[in-house]
Amino acid sequence: MSDLICVGAIAGAFGVRGEVRLKSFCANPEDIASYSPLTTEDNSRQFEISLTGRATNALTARLSGITTKEEADAMRGLRLFVSRDRMPSLPDDEFYHADLIGLAVHDTGGRLLGHVKSVMNHGAGDLLEIHGAGLRDTVLLPFTRIAVPTVDLAAGRIVADPPEGLFPDAGGTSGT
Amino acid sequence: MSRSVWKGPFVDAYVLKKAEAARESGRNEVIKIWSRRSTILPQFVGLTFGVYNGKKHVPVNVSEDMIGQKFGEYSPTRTYFGHAADRKAKRN
Repeated sequence: MSDLICVGAIAGAFGVRGEVRLKSFCANPEDIASYSPLTTEDNSRQFEISLTGRATNALTARLSGITTKEEADAMRGLRLFVSRDRMPSLPDDEFYHADLIGLAVHDTGGRLLGHVKSVMNHGAGDLLEIHGAGLRDTVLLPFTRIAVPTVDLAAGRIVADPPEGLFPDAGGTSGT
Repeated sequence: MSRSVWKGPFVDAYVLKKAEAARESGRNEVIKIWSRRSTILPQFVGLTFGVYNGKKHVPVNVSEDMIGQKFGEYSPTRTYFGHAADRKAKRN
């Protein structure tokens, strides 16, 4: 679990007065301002952010210490991070994707199935994409209490009880 | 133009058979299907289907609010890699 989480990136200058085009990766794009101040990846610089409006596919914002177009242009491509402990705590059974990604997935017998590569949601509930050494391709595991009875963030592990046929060597149904 | 009501919802016959067999067995399993065009029926609620997207079977837990939609709507055929940022997952 990484301590810093990327929440946005600077896409370039906006106008000639030092504003920037800001790409927000947050679920609600405007929430990026609530995590202010944001840092660079190496933690060498910090920026207070105030949103000023919207542009095509981006927000426009003013960053502390950036007053000219040249300074804003020089920041193009810069990714902005927030420390994990500054994000609000969540109720039970709700997890940040950033916390789940990278966790080890074990079955109920203790066998390592793989690691969480990403978390998806296509409209039918959240899915954990699991990548394992013995797997030819990634496996999608429904993120439900039945399929994932235990999530232990402190220990960095998930206990999964996958439905039959999901993992190749777990047996169960396959084919037509 | 929408489908005529008198025809009823379209479902491939093998999907119905597999769903019925899974419900009778009562086992916790993913029902692998290739029929993205089949309509989700009330008797599918509570079952988990693995809907093929051209590459793999995407698990779809059928709930009541999905009735009347097609299976393919929940199994995208294109991938998008976004950032995790502050996105949240809820365990149901």
